[in-house]
Amino acid sequence: MPQGDYIDLARKRHGYRLDHHERVRKAEARSVRRASEYAKKVTGIKAKIHHKRRYAEKAAMKKTLALAAEKSVRRADASAAPDGAVPAYLLDREATARSKVLSNTIKQKRKEKGGKWDVPLPRVKPVADDEVFKVIKTGKRKAKQWKRMVTKATFVGEGYTRKPPKYERFIRPTGMRFTKAHVTHPELKTTFCCDLLGVKKNPQSTMYTQLGVITKGTIVEVNVSDLGLVTNTGKVAWGKLAQVTNNPENDGCINAVLIV
Amino acid sequence: MAQSHYNFKRIQIVSGSTALIDVVLSKTQRKTPTEIHRHYAITRIRDFYTRKVKFAQQSFHDKLTRIVEDFPHFDSLHPFYADLFNVLYDRDHYKLALGQLAHARSLVDGIARDYVRMLKYGDSLYRCKQLKKAALGRMCTLIKRHNSSLAYLEQVRQHMARLPSIDPTARTLLIAGFPNVGKSSFLNVVSRADVEVQPYAFTTKSLFIGHTDHAYLRWQVIDTPGILDHALDERNTIEMQSITALAHLRAAVLFFVDPSEACGYSLAQQHALFRNVAPLFAAKPLIVVANKTDLGWEQELTPEAEALLADFTSPVATVPAPGEDTLPEEPPAQRAADALLKTSARDATGIAVVKRTACELLLTQRVEAKVKSRKAQAVLNRLHLAQPVGGDELNPSRPPTIPPSVVAKRAAAAAAAAAELPDDDAPYVRRLAAGPGARVDTRGDKDEDEAMDGSTRRRLERDLEADNGGAGVYSMDYRKLYELKRPAWAYDVIPEIINGKNVADFVDADIEAKLAALEAEEDARTAVGEVEYASEAVLDGYRALTDEERATVAAIRDKKLLARASSARERARGRQSVTRSAEARKGLDVEDFRSHLQSLGMADDDAEELTEKVRGRSRGRSKGPRGHAAPDGAAVAVGSKRNRSMSVVAATGADAGGRGNSRSVSVGPRSSKRIRVGSTSGIRDVSHAKEAEKAARAKTQVRVRREARKGEGDRAIYNENPKHMVVGKRGVGKTTRR
Repeated sequence: MPQGDYIDLARKRHGYRLDHHERVRKAEARSVRRASEYAKKVTGIKAKIHHKRRYAEKAAMKKTLALAAEKSVRRADASAAPDGAVPAYLLDREATARSKVLSNTIKQKRKEKGGKWDVPLPRVKPVADDEVFKVIKTGKRKAKQWKRMVTKATFVGEGYTRKPPKYERFIRPTGMRFTKAHVTHPELKTTFCCDLLGVKKNPQSTMYTQLGVITKGTIVEVNVSDLGLVTNTGKVAWGKLAQVTNNPENDGCINAVLIV
Repeated sequence: MAQSHYNFKRIQIVSGSTALIDVVLSKTQRKTPTEIHRHYAITRIRDFYTRKVKFAQQSFHDKLTRIVEDFPHFDSLHPFYADLFNVLYDRDHYKLALGQLAHARSLVDGIARDYVRMLKYGDSLYRCKQLKKAALGRMCTLIKRHNSSLAYLEQVRQHMARLPSIDPTARTLLIAGFPNVGKSSFLNVVSRADVEVQPYAFTTKSLFIGHTDHAYLRWQVIDTPGILDHALDERNTIEMQSITALAHLRAAVLFFVDPSEACGYSLAQQHALFRNVAPLFAAKPLIVVANKTDLGWEQELTPEAEALLADFTSPVATVPAPGEDTLPEEPPAQRAADALLKTSARDATGIAVVKRTACELLLTQRVEAKVKSRKAQAVLNRLHLAQPVGGDELNPSRPPTIPPSVVAKRAAAAAAAAAELPDDDAPYVRRLAAGPGARVDTRGDKDEDEAMDGSTRRRLERDLEADNGGAGVYSMDYRKLYELKRPAWAYDVIPEIINGKNVADFVDADIEAKLAALEAEEDARTAVGEVEYASEAVLDGYRALTDEERATVAAIRDKKLLARASSARERARGRQSVTRSAEARKGLDVEDFRSHLQSLGMADDDAEELTEKVRGRSRGRSKGPRGHAAPDGAAVAVGSKRNRSMSVVAATGADAGGRGNSRSVSVGPRSSKRIRVGSTSGIRDVSHAKEAEKAARAKTQVRVRREARKGEGDRAIYNENPKHMVVGKRGVGKTTRR
């Protein structure tokens, strides 16, 4: 039985097949045609995957070609512009530039005026009550409809004890309870998985805040002791606020931006 | 030989992370339902997406499990393989990669569990779909992160598949020594392994295996890469493979030495190496093989070199006294070779001696170890060889003890029997005399028998065969067994041909009796036939026809002839033949039918009755009071209410003639089919219409009828909704073909 690198050994002893290199060359030459045939034939998800990959390949190829090719780009000719005397058309351009700056500042002002909260997400889309709460029918005839189940992500504190289930008005199902959040530090541009400490403010309603409902735009308090942040006085900060930037009930996780 | 357990070729391919993800996602898409709508019941929507998440999780789980379970675990491996894998693949890296995949598997399970739990609270298709997307995405990300582990395992798999399948427990000869001393050449000579041999060091970079036979047993011969003389921690991967094999395989070690020093290392260096690696030879048969005698080093050996060579076989320190439990107490460094043999792998001299010596040494050791083992002891304890008291010296022959009275009695009986029986039965008598307890071998002492009473014993065919050249030469004489009137006839020559005829064709024992019987029968027949033919007597089961019957037969023949002739005439005239069904549609001609019946010999009354019956069957739907006496539409007006068929008959009375009553309502009268003449019909006048009709008949109907073709009325779509066109999922481009 052949053992070890038997292919190499056979080549060392007997050389390549006589038509080996020709076959390799032909296979290489045909590969383009084969690829095009496949591209024509393929449909559906396979086609999507294939074309995406081909697109990426082509883009990379173009880039490498462009790197190798000689460039003919226009460069600003500093010597052409005379010092001192400025022609009229250049004056005109400068004026335009200034006006642009002005308009930007106006926008900035407007933005500041509009934003009540200086937070990453200043506005949130309102969420209706019947979207958050599912009515639970109770009683022998299922006629009582005062019980509600929260269908959004919630935070329930560690030491929470349920009220007697019979009288519990709001049910926060364990399946939708969250204890962790992926918090991004906007300046460090890094994300950490931090423990939730509490829900500070849900902009939708105070009741949601009390219930610990977490929706997009909610301000939560997270444990940042692992980040090693230090307060102005030099103490290690451990609880900091962050704003939720996604819809946790849709994504199955909480993404938040630290408010610094 | 059974397959070794250590065959790593069965591990399946470990695909990279992208391939794995593609496979799983594509599988999920293919094997789970794909159609869902917003207005479906929310439970159905939740189940739909839950199924997808669970399916993807299960697929990932299965794939990862297969990888984790395919690869052997270090703890369950033979120490030789465990060490070899450590040398080749790095034990920590290997365990880490597998551990990571096992962890990834449990993480995938966790993700699926969480998302399935969240899907239970999904209240819309959108939300469920987002959750499914997030779940699958997180699983994929997780797998993507383990790309390096997967790639590493794939490389390990490929290398493992190419490892020689060494059975660590089998009988093994292990070849070791410096590089380039002729180890691989020896393997090539001693086995059928065809490994590379080159005149430079480290040609062999891994373990190679060959198989050879000795004492009807299979032996594996392992070729190891050369080892250099330096400390263990300085050894490289190639050398470490040799060391691993030396350390863990219970084998006979063949330490190769090149006294010609053509390998590039002096004999002193080789001796030093031998002493250094001696601990590895402990408890193993060891043979030092001085190779390359073809270079003629034996003549040129200096005294120092000779001393060194001799030193291979002499222990450094004390030799343990015989009878002691040798091996454990012996310090490893004092190990001496069991033999020093000279070979030339190139000329293939001395190979057989080396092989034999090594195999014998190892076999002895293995057998000894086996006997010493607890398992063998357990069996040996139960074995007991009983010896009679006193032993063989006292009574070497030990015949059975028979009382003298019994002997006397038997002798008397035998004498009486011998007087009655013929000589042939002598053995029987002897057996009788010996009694039932004693064994008389009539077969074994044949020669003795023949010497004693050869003339009296019946000679069997086998005796004849033995006398006349034995089996294959002697052919038996069958003629002596012929039973003929006179035994002398047996050897008569029977001619094959007499008077140009084969005798065998005429051999029949009672042919004359048969002939006599046949002639008697013939006589009887001729006598009976002549007398009784005219008088209707039964002759041998047959009866002669009467005149009347002969007339009938003639009439039948005539009629057949007539029918055939008329049919031929009709065909000759080119008249269109009409099918039976068309004839049936034409209706019944009552008079013809009746006369036909009568001509067949039916009584008048019966014929009438049958006619009426047939007419009644074809009368149509009306159940009104219609006397069969009424020949045409004129008598119909009696009915209180006209039904439709009646009205048709009434309207076309002139055309229908006498046939009106017998026609079924489903077929209209011929005239109704006639081509109408008028401005709208495109027909000018009556002649034109006739022409058209004729043309239509000629062109279409004639062929249709004559060749029993399908007409317009025969067109049918047998399956308006073929299943293969309407059932199943429609992928892209599958609207017209499936």
